[in-house]
Amino acid sequence: MKKISIVILSIITSNIIQAKEINIGVVLPLTGPTAAYGQSALDGVKIANSMNNTLSNGDKVNIVVVDTKGDKIESANASTRLVSQNKAYALIGEMLTANTLQVIRIGEEKKIPVVAPAATADKILNKKLYASRVCFMDSFQGSSLATYVKNKLNYTKAVIVSDQSADYSLGLTRAFEKEFNKQGGKILDKFRITAGDKDFKAILSQIKNLKPDFIYLPVYYTEASLFARQAKAMGVNIPMGSADGVADETFINLAQEAAEGYLFTDSFDYNNPPTQLSKDFILAYEKEKQNKEVPNFTAMGADAYFVIFEAMQKCINDFNSKCINDNIHSTSNFEGVSGVISIDKTGNATRSIVIKSIENQKQVYKDSILP
Amino acid sequence: MDSSLILQQIINGFSLGSMYALIAIGYTMVYGVLRLINFAHGDIMMVGAYSALFCVTSMNVPFLGALSLAMLFAAALGIAIDRVAYKPLRKAPRISLLITAIGISFLIQNVFNVLFGSTPKYFPVPSYLEAVINFNNISISINSILVPILTFFILLVVLFILYKSKYGIAIRALAFDVHTVNLMGIDANRIIAIVFALGSALAAIGGIFWAVSYPSVEPSMGTLIGLKAFGAAVLGGIGSVAGAVLGGLIIGFTEVVVVAIFPDLSGFKDAFAFIFLVLILLFKPTGILGINFEKSRF
Repeated sequence: MKKISIVILSIITSNIIQAKEINIGVVLPLTGPTAAYGQSALDGVKIANSMNNTLSNGDKVNIVVVDTKGDKIESANASTRLVSQNKAYALIGEMLTANTLQVIRIGEEKKIPVVAPAATADKILNKKLYASRVCFMDSFQGSSLATYVKNKLNYTKAVIVSDQSADYSLGLTRAFEKEFNKQGGKILDKFRITAGDKDFKAILSQIKNLKPDFIYLPVYYTEASLFARQAKAMGVNIPMGSADGVADETFINLAQEAAEGYLFTDSFDYNNPPTQLSKDFILAYEKEKQNKEVPNFTAMGADAYFVIFEAMQKCINDFNSKCINDNIHSTSNFEGVSGVISIDKTGNATRSIVIKSIENQKQVYKDSILP
Repeated sequence: MDSSLILQQIINGFSLGSMYALIAIGYTMVYGVLRLINFAHGDIMMVGAYSALFCVTSMNVPFLGALSLAMLFAAALGIAIDRVAYKPLRKAPRISLLITAIGISFLIQNVFNVLFGSTPKYFPVPSYLEAVINFNNISISINSILVPILTFFILLVVLFILYKSKYGIAIRALAFDVHTVNLMGIDANRIIAIVFALGSALAAIGGIFWAVSYPSVEPSMGTLIGLKAFGAAVLGGIGSVAGAVLGGLIIGFTEVVVVAIFPDLSGFKDAFAFIFLVLILLFKPTGILGINFEKSRF
C-alpha cells in the first residue's frame, strides 16, 4: 500500500514538474504613431491566449509582450530579448512591414518561428525559413478587387491613383492592373500622388474628363478621404475603391458622406463570422470590451496566436522551435478567427478576402473571394 | 484637352495657389522685419486650425466667431513665442534664431501630438462654403472662389497697414535698421510684437481655410505647407508682400500644370515646383519682386 502511494505520488509530482510554462513572444507597437494597430492586435493575442492556453499535456502557454514604439531598432532589440531572456519558442509581430522585417531577421538568426499578423507586402518572406504570416498578400488583395469590379459590377474602364512613396500602394497597383487587364478591362490612365498631398482637384479634373467606370485608389485613409471629399465637391460621381488602408473608422470620420458607396478589401467582417472559432472569439471579445465590433487587426493578432498554438499542440512529444516551425508551415485549412487559413512551405497564407462597402456610414459586407 | 478642362484646371491652380499665397504673406512679413525665417509659421497655422476646430465642436461657436477667436489666439501665441524664444536672441547671430525657430516648430507639433493624438481630425465645414456652382461641365466650390478673393483683400489690407498707417512707417523703419529705431522714439519690441501678432493671425486664417478646403486637421499639417509657402515667399522675393502672393500663385499653377500635362509624373509635382523655384533664383537671386536688402526693405 505504502509503495503504491509513493509511486502515485511520484507520478503526480513528476507530472507537476514536467508541466512546463512555454512563452510566446509578442512584439508590437503599443506606443508611438502606429500604436492603434499594435493595441488592437494585442487585444486579439490576449483574448486568444485566455481562450486557449493549455496544451494537451498540461503545459501552459504564456505570452510575453514587448513594446516596439513603432521603431525598427526597438523591434530587433525586443525580438532578441524575447528569444534570449524569455526563452520564447515563437514570436508574433510586428504590424508594419519594415519592423516585421526586423523581427523576421532575428527569427532567422535564432531559428525561432515568426508569425506576422499584418505584413501584407509580397516579398517579405522570400528565402526565409522561419517566417510566415496569417494575412493575405497585397497582390491577392489587388487582384481580388479587380476581379470583383470587372466581373460582378461590370466596370470595364478604370483609372488608378497610387501613392508613389509607399511600396504597399505600388504593389496593389501592379496587381490590380494585371488582373483587370487579364479579365478584359482597360486601364485608361494612372496617376501618382505622394503621401501628405492634400489637393487632388487637378487629378480629379483629368479623371472627370476620361470618364472611367471605376477609380482604384490603393492609398491610406488620410489621402483617400480627402480624395473622396474633393471628388464629391467637384461632382465626380465615379465609384471608388481601396484596399485595407481605409479599413478603419477614421476613414469614415474624415470622408463623412463622401464615403457612401466606397468599396474596399479587408480580411474579416465581424457581422459574418466565418468559423466556429470566430463566433466564440466575438463572444469573448464582447465580454471583455462590451462591444462586438472586433477590429480587423484584433482578429489577425488572434489568428497568429492560434496558428502557433496549434503547431505547438502537434509538437508536445518533441518540443522544439524547429518542430513548431515545420507545423506552422504545414497549417492546412485551419478554421481561424478571420477565416480559413492554410500556410504553405514559403510561409505565405492562402486565405479568403472580404469585400465591403460603406453604406450609411457603416462598413457593410458585400462578398467573399476565395483564393 | 478641351477648353472646359483647361478652364477647370486654371480655377484649380488659382484656388491652390492662393492658399499658398495666404500663408506666404505672414512668412514674408516676419522675414522683412527680423530677417528671420520663422519655421514655426506653419505650426502656428496648424494651431489656428485646431483652435477653430475646438471653438466649433466643443463650444458651438459659429464659423465666423471661431475664425476671429482663432486669429486672436494665434496672435497671442505669436507674441508669446517672440517674447520667450526670439526676443532674448535679438543680438545673437541669425543662425541661433533659425535653430530656435526650428525648435519651436518641433515643440508645438509635439505638444499637439500629445494633446490631440496624431490621427487626423475632421473639420466641420459650414455648408455655405461647400456649396458647388456648376456650369459647362465645370464645378467650383464657393470656397475656392472665396479664398483667392480673401487673399487679395488681405494683401490690400497688409499693404495699407504698411504704407498708409503710423505703424506701417514704424515697421518699415524697423525693417531698415533695428538698432536705430529705438533712438527715434520707437519701441522696437512693441513693433516686432505687432508684426508677429499680425503674421500669426494671418497664419490662423490660412490654417482655417486650409482646413475648410481639405477637411482634416493633424499636428503635422503645417510642415509641408509651411515649406511650400516659404518657397512661394522666396520665389516672389522674400520680404515683399505682393511677391509672396505672386510666388504662391506660381507654385500652385506649376503643380496643376504638371498633373494636367504629365499625369505619369503627377507624384513629383512638389519636385517640379521646387525645381522651378531653383531656376528662377538662378536668374533672379532675390526672387521675382525681390528687393536688394542692403538698399531698402518692403
